[in-house]
Amino acid sequence: MTKKKLLPLLAAAVAALAVPGSGRAAVKVGFINTITGAEAPIGETMTNGLDLALEDLKKQGVDLRVIRQDDTGKPDKAISAIEQLATGDEVSAIVGPYTSQCANAVAKQAEQYGVPQVIPAASKEDITRQGYKWVFRVNAPAHVYAHSLIDAAMSFGKPKSIAFIYESTDFGSSLSKVGKDYAVSKGLTVVADEAYQKGAPDYRSTLTKVKEKNPDLVFMVSYVADAILLMRQSREIGLKPQAFLGGGAGFDTSQFESERAISTNVFSVTQWTPDSGPGAADFAARYEKRFGKPPTYHAACTYTSMMVVGAAVKAAGGDRAKLRDALASGSWTTIMGPVKFETFEGFTNQNKVAMPVIQYQDGKKVTVYPKAVAKKKAVYPFPAWK
Amino acid sequence: MSTPVPPPRTPVELRPFRLFPGFAWPSFGAWVAAIALLALVPLFVKKPLLLHMWIMVFLAVAQGSAWNVVGGYAGQYSVGHAAYFGVGAYTTMMLLELHQIAPWWGVGLAILNAVIVSVVIGAITFRLRGPYFVLGSIAVAEIVRLGALYWKGFTKGAEGILLSGIPPLQITQDWTIAFVGKRPFFYAALMLAVLVVAANWFVQNTKLGFYFQAIREDQDAAHSLGIGPALHKSIALAISAAFTAWAGSLFALYVRFIDPNIVIGLDVSVQMVLICIIGGIGTILGPVVGAFVLTLLSETLRNPKWLVQAGLFSDESPVIAFIQQRLANTHVLFYGILVVAVILFAPDGILGLARDATARVRRRLAAGGRRARQPAEG
Amino acid sequence: MKHTRGRHGSHMLILQSILSGILVGGVYALVGIGLTLIFGVMRVINFAHGDLLMLGMYATWWIFTKTGIDPYLSLVLTAPLLFAWGALLQTAFINRILGSLPQNQILLTIVLGLVMRNTMLLIFTSDYQILTTSYSSSSFRLFGLSVSQPLLYSFLVTAVITAALYGFLMRTDTGQAIRATAQDREAAQLMGINVSRMSILAFGLGTALAAIAGALLAPTYYIYPDVGAPFTLKAFVVVVLGGMGSVVGATLGGVLIGVAESLGGAWVAGLKDLNVYVLFLLILLFKPSGLLGKSRM
Repeated sequence: MTKKKLLPLLAAAVAALAVPGSGRAAVKVGFINTITGAEAPIGETMTNGLDLALEDLKKQGVDLRVIRQDDTGKPDKAISAIEQLATGDEVSAIVGPYTSQCANAVAKQAEQYGVPQVIPAASKEDITRQGYKWVFRVNAPAHVYAHSLIDAAMSFGKPKSIAFIYESTDFGSSLSKVGKDYAVSKGLTVVADEAYQKGAPDYRSTLTKVKEKNPDLVFMVSYVADAILLMRQSREIGLKPQAFLGGGAGFDTSQFESERAISTNVFSVTQWTPDSGPGAADFAARYEKRFGKPPTYHAACTYTSMMVVGAAVKAAGGDRAKLRDALASGSWTTIMGPVKFETFEGFTNQNKVAMPVIQYQDGKKVTVYPKAVAKKKAVYPFPAWK
Repeated sequence: MSTPVPPPRTPVELRPFRLFPGFAWPSFGAWVAAIALLALVPLFVKKPLLLHMWIMVFLAVAQGSAWNVVGGYAGQYSVGHAAYFGVGAYTTMMLLELHQIAPWWGVGLAILNAVIVSVVIGAITFRLRGPYFVLGSIAVAEIVRLGALYWKGFTKGAEGILLSGIPPLQITQDWTIAFVGKRPFFYAALMLAVLVVAANWFVQNTKLGFYFQAIREDQDAAHSLGIGPALHKSIALAISAAFTAWAGSLFALYVRFIDPNIVIGLDVSVQMVLICIIGGIGTILGPVVGAFVLTLLSETLRNPKWLVQAGLFSDESPVIAFIQQRLANTHVLFYGILVVAVILFAPDGILGLARDATARVRRRLAAGGRRARQPAEG
Repeated sequence: MKHTRGRHGSHMLILQSILSGILVGGVYALVGIGLTLIFGVMRVINFAHGDLLMLGMYATWWIFTKTGIDPYLSLVLTAPLLFAWGALLQTAFINRILGSLPQNQILLTIVLGLVMRNTMLLIFTSDYQILTTSYSSSSFRLFGLSVSQPLLYSFLVTAVITAALYGFLMRTDTGQAIRATAQDREAAQLMGINVSRMSILAFGLGTALAAIAGALLAPTYYIYPDVGAPFTLKAFVVVVLGGMGSVVGATLGGVLIGVAESLGGAWVAGLKDLNVYVLFLLILLFKPSGLLGKSRM
């Protein structure tokens, strides 16, 4: 009896001695996010996801102290944030930042200081291609978006041509670049390649030009609200391909979903749906109840990242090296499905996410590809504008 | 309302705050001592965050002082200096990442490149005056930014350029500088800041600088005295562009990633003007003060905990807790409000405010002295 | 419909682009007129102009979500509201620095914009707000061209407001006083015109016009605190193109920029904005007084 009680106590005492900041004191985790600035709308959803994760971890008895830093979307501020967290607060791990340029700047420092960093939603390929040992990424990088979408379209019908319209940002151009290469390799002809500058209210002429090329597929990559703008104007001018393919981001928001007049039958690709893993539907319901809007995949990815970090802390305590080993070797079942950080095809510590393709049907997101997880049959080709 | 637009009111006379009324050994000594002290900082300050902040301050000093040459002394209020910052950053990064040319050559070429660009831009925009020049300078910077976004094959466009590594710099057989950690960047930034401030000193105290200032005060009068406005404005811009590009190169190497919006965005240009005006435009010390105040202010509002690291506050201090809890979403707002206050209540910058205050104290002391000497009045 | 596939697009494409360009240009014109009015009277380049437009958008959106009043109808509420806000800004801030250095004026408006953006961020969060009306993505067909319904309505509103403003400036005493102030501030003061009051009026009007432009954009565009910046830059282009201080010039400039952008978008989307700035620079260089302005600074 006494032995049984003593052992865990002893283990805890040893852990407390060995790991500064663990034991009774909560393990410190840094969270770098974009709270102000142009990317703040997505930053907010990530904060929400993190907060839900903290609640759940607390229920599991994992008491974490999260220290938050705003990077304002600028890499120099992100460096400042990681210096503070790594060397001032001496956190055990870092979750974030959101944007690719910040995540990359932080990754370099995390590697240098030996702090495990878990990136929830930055899509730039290069981040996990530099052989960093301390940097882990939960979300799928850019090429997966493009490959999933084009594969889906090829499985639905026999498109011959494709047009690309995308925002002139890192995400937009990287995604379209891999998309174009992949489309060509699948025998599609790229008939239009239009990068646009965001911040203009009128894309009608560009869309009209695309319409004249008569593409079978229109592949669009836009941040949050431009997706709505582009689809509204596509409807106005009567652009009607066999399918609209939206490259995540703006095509995967609750606002886009609620604009039924323009979102119906549009495809998008996503890191996460409420069917992605056990507890995902429950997460979606709780999120919506708490914040008054459905979660985006950014929220789900951040939730997952934090849960993974929490699980690793539970297993390994607050020691950075042990935590890294726990992250590198562990595997978890999450609302995004199974998460495991692997080394493959030039990537290091990259989680493999099979990105499901969804279609908006009757004002709802429905998973339509891959077949294994599809809930409904895809509507293809695009019928007509209502 | 197509009314003829009258010429702008001549700017209010702007007499530079002369820290050096020419060269003087004591003040020179003070500067040398200050620089020597700064050079010793890394020996005592080990915290990376604090070194990072020093680097950001030095870069801000360099940017503000570089702008000061053309904006403060020659009176050409360019809001398009991001163009030179971007040219510097891009030249260095492209040479290094795409052509494997080491950054110490790259920075040199970046400076050269920026000077050439400045001559072209100057030839276009210096024909404009007043608000037209301001707008023209913005337009040029936007053209550079949009061009960098569009010509993907050349600049990699919006994807930006990621730095994979900086080769070590071998100075002698057994002295190599590895660009790891903060220290090399600290000294590189300090050196740049010192050089730009020195350039400001020369501009303020040499004939060339007097020509600049004459153009600022009255371009037409200066012209009639035989000072070629086009030539001198171009020289001022070239000096300014060279240092701005240098700062851009250093920023890129330090942050290790650039894209057109980060290094050629309008906010880069605005920041440079802001540093000068908040500190005190057209003075040597002004941009230095402005750089310190703005960098530290914005960092304090965003992350007050640096004060703890600097040993100025304890971790439990209510000030830190207040800023952290109450200003998490509003630090930019507070920053803005404070800057508005400075512009409204200290139109000549912090330095101007300090000067007025010392003058007032001096007057009061003098008045007090007179009273003391004539006590038996009435 | 079979279209010819030329590198530079067919006639239909060009006609369609010109049409949308003119309609969008109407909104640019409004933004530009507001800016030119402020510049004309005060000689201050208002860098916060896009942020005033942003306030107009939020006001419209807020009224729409609370009461369901159509954004084009709620103009009667938003315009006076923002007029008052502009007048307040002028009295509390801009008037204080009129005699100050030009770079201080620029910075003040820049930072006031920053403050307004971050205040909105605090109140409404950074979420994108979408205002959807029944006509947000509808269009009429006209000779094979699509005429955007919301753009057409906003263009009509713009035309009425521009005409009314022009009438006010030309026909009324107050309007003449504003013009006199714009022509020569000192002389106007000597003639007994209350210059400071005219400045307040001009900034109020400029703000109201920016807000109306924001309201007109609201049903087709999206709303978030940082939405204004591109419009500030566009307004500069419009104003320089038309001649600083010229209302008719700004109207013309707005429509021209709208068309130039639209045609640029039909050519190469990535060069759309670049074209506009090159055009801007060319105008600055070869006709700095603008198309209708008479003098150069």
